[in-house]
Amino acid sequence: MPAITLLATLSPPCNARTWSSTPHPHLPIIATACSDKTVRIYSLQNFQQQSTISGGHKRSIRSCAWKPNSRGESVLATGSFDASAGIWRRWEEGGGNGQDAEIDFTGGLSGGGEKDEDDDDEWRFAVILDGHDSEIKCVTFAPTAPLLATCSRDKSVWIWEELEDDNFETVAVLNEHEGDVKCVAWHPSEQLLASASYDDNIRLWGEDVDDWACCALLTGHEGTVWCVEFEDANNIYALGSSENLTSEQQAYVQVRLKAGPRLISCSDDMTIRIWRRVPKDKPELPAGQIKTPSIWKNRDFEEEWIEECRLPQVHERPIYTVNWSKKTGKVVSTGSDGKIVVYEERWKSSKISNGDADGDVVMAGGTPAPDMEDLTAKKVHGSEGHMGGLTEWVAVAEVENAHDVFEVNHVVWAPRADKDKRTEDEEVIVSTGDDGEVNVWTLDT
Amino acid sequence: MDLDKDNANPTIINPSDLPSRRRSAPTTKRAGIFDVLAPAYPTLLAAPSSPPEAQSDISSDSEEEEDREEIDEQEVYDLISTISDPEHPLSLGSLGVVTLDDIKILTPTSPRSRISTVTVLITPTTSACSLTTVIGLGVKVRLVNALPPRFRVDVRIKEGTSKTADEVNKQLGDKERVAAAMENKSLVSVVNNMLATCE
Repeated sequence: MPAITLLATLSPPCNARTWSSTPHPHLPIIATACSDKTVRIYSLQNFQQQSTISGGHKRSIRSCAWKPNSRGESVLATGSFDASAGIWRRWEEGGGNGQDAEIDFTGGLSGGGEKDEDDDDEWRFAVILDGHDSEIKCVTFAPTAPLLATCSRDKSVWIWEELEDDNFETVAVLNEHEGDVKCVAWHPSEQLLASASYDDNIRLWGEDVDDWACCALLTGHEGTVWCVEFEDANNIYALGSSENLTSEQQAYVQVRLKAGPRLISCSDDMTIRIWRRVPKDKPELPAGQIKTPSIWKNRDFEEEWIEECRLPQVHERPIYTVNWSKKTGKVVSTGSDGKIVVYEERWKSSKISNGDADGDVVMAGGTPAPDMEDLTAKKVHGSEGHMGGLTEWVAVAEVENAHDVFEVNHVVWAPRADKDKRTEDEEVIVSTGDDGEVNVWTLDT
Repeated sequence: MDLDKDNANPTIINPSDLPSRRRSAPTTKRAGIFDVLAPAYPTLLAAPSSPPEAQSDISSDSEEEEDREEIDEQEVYDLISTISDPEHPLSLGSLGVVTLDDIKILTPTSPRSRISTVTVLITPTTSACSLTTVIGLGVKVRLVNALPPRFRVDVRIKEGTSKTADEVNKQLGDKERVAAAMENKSLVSVVNNMLATCE
């Protein structure tokens, strides 16, 4: 069984609760949102603080997000309990283009965290985004378009479009949640946004002709949904190469490819669930299971998502964060019980001749969603609904008291960047806790 | 003024009838519990920026301290029974809002775990008490600040005593909401007034 081993604690720690840490899209640095109203940027090469952002927010900074594809300059969005979001800029090494002669950046270009570790003056405040009525819980940039999503205790999700540098326009205010919106996450390749809420539901939002609207409602969690995230499209290949698969497994791969990346969620109800889209142009259903057109929604815009499975229940208190590795497809979770748990998806070793065998299979961990046993679901989804039963999730590693006796608020996979890294694509797990510390862990097999 | 109160004539328990072990309880008053935004954990306050070696010393000290310091329901009761009701000049103990019977301590669920859970059920003075959330917040803040950080504090409304129990329970159980409330000056001032009567 693999072990989760502490590699380093980022230094210096914060004196107050730290909420979340976000790795840079291409530099070996990570930004930690702190309740002392600062963001600390640490190097993942030497684990030292590289710079800080302070003075912009009046309350806790809850979340931050790096703008993707911003070569030459790093752009960070911050979301705060003061109801505002901030945009901050900093030149990367060799990235300055001198367009703005007013700013003297020539003295302290460091970028990769290799030098000038304590140069705190490089972050430039660019713009503040006002609009939310209460605490912002999460901010995130879209990977496919110049869009930023923010969500708040005011029950709304806002989508902002960056028309040109630092000129943000509100393109949507989405109000359908009935409670705080805790987390927003973008689909990796489509303009599709997921939101998780205090109302126990997940909603998916897309652009319908000209307007953003809710295209799917995912119900089932029995407590606040704290976090949602889409998987990487390549995760399917973590299950193994296609030539070694049975025909059933190959069919499942086809369904997964057609459905696209799945969504994962974790909740106050101590469950982690995986949701999968039901593709619209489905392969032919077996005879006798032909759906009647009336079952389907009329509009192409609306999507149907089903709960594919639940991960093994290891946590004993609310689960605050779940994160999906883009490299290995492994999932890591953490929460109030102070545990960090890593899960892996595998093909079930026992062969299943048909979908009905689901209930008989003894599983090391993941349980099929109750919905799948449901008659209606069977009728609607045909054989596809059961295909989640071909794989199982296994908890492969666990560490307790990851931040001494404190709660752990956030956990994320990041590329390993220190001098002792063992392979080119090795990853570390970065955890962020109530003790103000950010810990870096390796997964040792 | 009394007409605005949810319960202008509450039942009051004689202080001498309340269970207490106050005389023997350690009175470690921690000054300025709202000086920092996050929970004022003693180890953090003691060593805000000490080097890693010193930090590990401190955490091993606190582990020893944890072993020495067993905390029972009576001690938890003593910590919260003296909190003042936000609308009466009386303590939560004398109003019967908190009782010794409604405090439960769950020890760690596995030998490796060091996390204990304190569950406090509060009984609002009337079923429509609009200040129930504030009372719950006061109890939660008091315990989070006074107990060692290995305790998880669950404050809930006793079943069948309030129409809004589910809603209040969900709020009090939401870490983010509690943290944000403690950054709200007016709420902090109300809670501080409630806690001013605690030792």
